[in-house]
Amino acid sequence: MLKKILKNIFTGNRTLDVKEDNVSPVQLKKKMDPVFGRSLRIRQVDAGSCNACEWECTALTNPVYDIQRYGIDLVASPRHADLLLVTGPVSRQMELALRQTLDATPEPKIVVACGDCAIDGGIYKGSYAVNKGVDSVIPVDLVIPGCPPEPGRIMEALVQMMEDIRQGRS
Amino acid sequence: MPENERYIELEANRFRDHCIALYNSGRYYPRLMFAADLRQSNDCFRIYMVFSEKEKDIFHIPFFDLKENAPVYKSLTPDIPAVHWYEREIRDMFGLIPEGHPDLRRLVFHDSFPSDSYPLRKDWTISRTDLNEWGEGLIKKEAYKFMEVEGEGVHEIPVGPVHAGIIEPGHFRFSTVGETIFFLEPRLFYTHKGIEKHFEGMSFFDGVRLAERVSGTSSFSHSAAYCMAVERMADIEISEKAAAVRTMLLELERLYNHIGDIGNMCAGTGVAIGNTYGAVIKEDLLQFNKRLTGSRYLRGINIIGGVTSDVFLKADDILNTIDAVTVEYKKFMKMLLGTISHIERLENTGKLSKDIALRLGVTGVAARASGINDDIRKAHPHFLYDDLDFEPHTSGKCDVYARMMVRAEEVECSISIINALLENSYNGDLSSSVKTIPAGSSALGYTETPRGSVFYWVMSDSKGMPHRVKLRSPSFCNWPAVPFAVHGEIVPDFPLCNKSFNLSYSGSDM
Repeated sequence: MLKKILKNIFTGNRTLDVKEDNVSPVQLKKKMDPVFGRSLRIRQVDAGSCNACEWECTALTNPVYDIQRYGIDLVASPRHADLLLVTGPVSRQMELALRQTLDATPEPKIVVACGDCAIDGGIYKGSYAVNKGVDSVIPVDLVIPGCPPEPGRIMEALVQMMEDIRQGRS
Repeated sequence: MPENERYIELEANRFRDHCIALYNSGRYYPRLMFAADLRQSNDCFRIYMVFSEKEKDIFHIPFFDLKENAPVYKSLTPDIPAVHWYEREIRDMFGLIPEGHPDLRRLVFHDSFPSDSYPLRKDWTISRTDLNEWGEGLIKKEAYKFMEVEGEGVHEIPVGPVHAGIIEPGHFRFSTVGETIFFLEPRLFYTHKGIEKHFEGMSFFDGVRLAERVSGTSSFSHSAAYCMAVERMADIEISEKAAAVRTMLLELERLYNHIGDIGNMCAGTGVAIGNTYGAVIKEDLLQFNKRLTGSRYLRGINIIGGVTSDVFLKADDILNTIDAVTVEYKKFMKMLLGTISHIERLENTGKLSKDIALRLGVTGVAARASGINDDIRKAHPHFLYDDLDFEPHTSGKCDVYARMMVRAEEVECSISIINALLENSYNGDLSSSVKTIPAGSSALGYTETPRGSVFYWVMSDSKGMPHRVKLRSPSFCNWPAVPFAVHGEIVPDFPLCNKSFNLSYSGSDM
């Protein structure tokens, strides 16, 4: 059901115009609760990134950003996840693992391509060993630009996503 | 040609004897081995080996030529174990076969990559079907056989490539007896992005951006080494100011990595407060990086011929931030060293003997924690390191604790270097204008990343475009040492041992 709503909302890749300001906790909770019932679980998948994006995702859980206080958490298995946060251009040797991870994720399996190279291959575009971003391997619902996108930016994008879902806006 | 690079052309057989003689003398460190396709100009492939002489700023670079119709040479691995991965890598990328190598399985390419296909050959092509089948990973074209441990009670645990934590992908196969790790075989190169080949398709100037994205948390060291290689090749002298900016930022990169790594080790021992404390100091430093350079990972500063921004204009911010970080860092270390449950887990865990570290050519923190006094900043001084007064920090304890303490001492060393750099003023333009790169020349570039030495070797073609860019990240040297460090440890200590090395998958997989 949720997947269906998302599909309607995000037709094709859509780049969010996100400000780098931090997120207001009250605002975020208000937006998240009706959609995800106070709990959004994210599985991060590195599909060949340079590792800068992973560190920004790790930073989301440090006390400065502390994404857990909103009910968002990064989990250890795709089986526990609502959303896959994929980084990297999808190196060919990670393609199979990425598909299998998506298969292991329960619905609504929202896919977010995080970082410039996850969007279209970025700096690695054209190399024999990479794909042209996550979208060329599995369907993508949302993209977050940046090289790497800063933690505040990733949070803002997630908030915007929830706002869009709540309002059924495209 | 740069003064400290001594190239020696030899016959294939003489090359082997020469390298073994240098190695056995004990006065040289093997640094890297690589090949180049010179069939267009010299009708041959060329294999180079780079040694650096101890106590002297000299690179000895013997090389030999290999004809395309007889692409076989005698392996050096039985005599110089440190080259085992290089020879396999050269086999995968160029199809030059090291006869007598004890392990001729593919290193870089996984099962679905076509046989007899060598991407770094200049005339290499690959069909769309092959590429798709490679990605789908369903057809095994050259099966990889994992080493198997047999015997009563041996249990195999496969892990990865998608791990539980937010880390890079790699596959680990543990053979355990009870809880004890008897044997570990890592299968890496999931993040292989064809970076060396990709360098050949862009200009030397554009290559800086790619070098920054080889290994995310060593962006500055990688791009500095790359720029240095190109500048040495083109005989460009960078100004004192540019050298000072680079030295400063190399140390800032070391600072945030080392403090972050010490904090991460706490995740391996379940000391939550240590983990978060380290993460907060690291976050402070990343935000400071952003104020200073516009990028949390110090990207966009290096260019061929110098740097784009003068960080010394923000000397006040540097001074204040470093002072504040120093205070926090001291409290942090005091807390960790007073936490017995933490220290107890580190001591005598994950030992890597000096002998094995030397034989495998281990570099950086891992080498120094195993008693090897080697630091590229000292061994081959560059930028302003020759003017700075510091010593490499070593420890003879060889365990996880030693790797933490070497990092801790280096943090203090970096803080003093940063403060010392702020005491002087530096002359010259930020960058000198460079328009063209001389044809047919080559040079090395190198720096000490937070993980160890990184090397770039660049060669231009007849038009001054990249003919070959060889990059050797520290993780490529250190990965083979991890199985030795965890042998005999229990499975729950693997994450801790692994974090104490903190290797980059992307840097090693390229």
